[in-house]
Amino acid sequence: MFIRSVERDTSLDAFRAEVRDFCERELPPEVRRKQALGQHLERHEYDAWLKRLGTKGWITGKWPKEHGGLGWSPAQTLAFNEELGRAGAPAVVPFGVNMAGPVIYTFGTEEQKRTYLPGVIKNDTWWCQGYSEPGAGSDLAALKTKAVRDGGHYVVNGQKIWTSLAHWADWMFCLVRTDDGGKKQEGISFVLIDMKTPGITVRPIIAITMSHHLNEVFFDDVRVPVENLIGQEGKGWTYAKFLLANERVGNVEISRLEHALDALRRLLAETREGGKPLADDPLWRRKVAEHEVGLATVKALMADQLAATAEEGGAPTLMGAAALKLRGTELQQAIHQSNMEVLGRYGQVYQTEALHGGWNGELIGPADTTGLVYEHLYRRAATIYGGSSEVQKNIIAKGALGL
Amino acid sequence: MPAFSSEERQLLNDSLRDLLADKYTFEHFKKLARAEDGDGFGRADWATYAEMGWLGVALPESAGGAGGGATELGIVMAGAGRFLLLEPLLGTIVLGASAIEKAGTPDQQILLGDIAEGKLTLAFCHYEPDSGYARDYVRTVARRDGDGYVIDGSKAHTIAAHAVDALVVSARLGSETGPVALFLVPRTSAGIKLSAAPALDGRRGAAVTLAGVRVPASAKLGNGDADLLRTISTILDRGAIAVCAEAVGAMAAVTQITVDYLKTRKQFGQLLSQFQVLQHRLVDMSVTTEEARALVHAALQALDDDDPQARQAVWKAKIKTAQCARFVGGQAIQLHGGMGMTDELIVGHYYKRLVLCETLLGDGEWYLKQLAAEVV
Repeated sequence: MFIRSVERDTSLDAFRAEVRDFCERELPPEVRRKQALGQHLERHEYDAWLKRLGTKGWITGKWPKEHGGLGWSPAQTLAFNEELGRAGAPAVVPFGVNMAGPVIYTFGTEEQKRTYLPGVIKNDTWWCQGYSEPGAGSDLAALKTKAVRDGGHYVVNGQKIWTSLAHWADWMFCLVRTDDGGKKQEGISFVLIDMKTPGITVRPIIAITMSHHLNEVFFDDVRVPVENLIGQEGKGWTYAKFLLANERVGNVEISRLEHALDALRRLLAETREGGKPLADDPLWRRKVAEHEVGLATVKALMADQLAATAEEGGAPTLMGAAALKLRGTELQQAIHQSNMEVLGRYGQVYQTEALHGGWNGELIGPADTTGLVYEHLYRRAATIYGGSSEVQKNIIAKGALGL
Repeated sequence: MPAFSSEERQLLNDSLRDLLADKYTFEHFKKLARAEDGDGFGRADWATYAEMGWLGVALPESAGGAGGGATELGIVMAGAGRFLLLEPLLGTIVLGASAIEKAGTPDQQILLGDIAEGKLTLAFCHYEPDSGYARDYVRTVARRDGDGYVIDGSKAHTIAAHAVDALVVSARLGSETGPVALFLVPRTSAGIKLSAAPALDGRRGAAVTLAGVRVPASAKLGNGDADLLRTISTILDRGAIAVCAEAVGAMAAVTQITVDYLKTRKQFGQLLSQFQVLQHRLVDMSVTTEEARALVHAALQALDDDDPQARQAVWKAKIKTAQCARFVGGQAIQLHGGMGMTDELIVGHYYKRLVLCETLLGDGEWYLKQLAAEVV
């Protein structure tokens, strides 16, 4: 039961104030404005902000010091993300800091660490994730993209899908099949691919949000130097699972949940029914309270998970991450559902032009309506990406309950 | 006695299914919805609906209609949901026609014939920026001026208001405390500002601002200045059940599409349809759809029978259907995985239509509150 003894950390107040001040000073006004409206940022807008964060080392603050991080405790990492959210700053893009980086510093060579980690720390390189394939979704280990050794290179052929931001990425961390003999989990290797290599084609996928965020990536005789292999050939599944656990913890973004719930409170104050603010309605107040219980639960699960991670040497387990991801993403969808319920009163409009800066058309409803509808639609995928809820339940059934 | 026999209803249902399956393909839907220069719906399709007798299915025979009831209207709306029709059916043949029928003078009833023939399209502009779903909150005012009225006020975003022939506008007579009347206002009247915007499901519409809009006395539906709030509520109930019928059509279609997809997609060496947990989910989608269908049918029947409990039957149906639509739409995407998140598949479009059905003319929570006030 309630065994874990964690010291109450009061040292973070100064740090929080420092982050707040920094955001106040350094967050570019255009980025702040777009964030408030829920508009899409361009890569150069992200860069303008993230590079500033990078000068403080804060993007990778939670990495161990020996790998260029600041060795933040879980509590400090949470505090940092909370303050970013409250300041209206965009959440840190996860592919380098949560995914590629930890795999490289845990399993990579000294040379690889020197080559790739600084780009993440300074936000000079953008990463994308080459995991899913058309035939390998829930069943990720069924992946078929092939890498055949040819002298000092692997020659890669195949296709990845649902690749977020591949059109911006400089590098991809990619699961490839180097052996299709034995069990499907064996014979998978983890390689780093320069997105500028000849033979790579990135094709956009338009999502139900009507936006371009996802891509298909095709490999046609793409030559990848053998030194871009992480760890051992054929052991990629081990590294892949390590990364997935990190990814799933990262899927639960407390600052986004708080931001969505704040939006609900604001919508309720701003929206009237029969001339009276919805915020006066006890049923709506009850609904906000229910979401607060959900948020407290997810935060508690998160704190526990992070504390356990710290005790066990830095890496979350697949099992621990599964429960957190399951409940965190369900809560996210539930809060967005409530936002949509309020917005129904404005006709459920979705003015996609308003997702981009520079559009001066007439908006209907609260100023961030389009951004909230976008989030609602996009987060339908929260229970799919990073391993569907069904997969998370299988992991718990097998791992925790021994079924 | 029902206006249509079971056989006639079956024929109506089949004619919708056969013709729309042929003509109203997903490609056609996308082309209409995304045309830069169009209204966002099909004028030619509208003419076809008139020819098929669908627009007049529930209008009196004296107006060239088929004399059907709410149930027949429900069959047409279910077809609209099944094929994601973009045309202004709700505003024209449900809400607009109902307003003319219930509130109009004999002279105004002639317009019903135009509706049946496809010559008159309408949008029902009742809700206002501060009304939410409340039906009695009207701040738009129509002041007597010479032999006509001058209307001022704002109406919330209404589907198809950007392109229909006329708006049915509710307004208080004389002042903000006067009785509520309904006016038939040509969309192109001077003083009307249409703020066009698409809804989430791709259907277009507009929020409406009326500033000094001058209409003749004959634009007011009916004679006399009696307050029409009760009539408006009846009209909105009829609209609510039509939206439920639309949702049932969409739920049935997307459930079948999901069943078919799971029978073709393989993971872990077997078809997804062979996983028991997914089978049960499909069963839940199917039973959920069936629950909504049964309850909507019961409410339609109650309306046709002039059952005094009909109003509550509609509310119950709207509550249940809203819950069902959310579950079925959400699971359709979930079970399609990443594919369900793409614009390329029809699944996401059903999801969006179901979101609209859940909230149009009041969401489940709102009706639950109305019902609670009467049953506790």
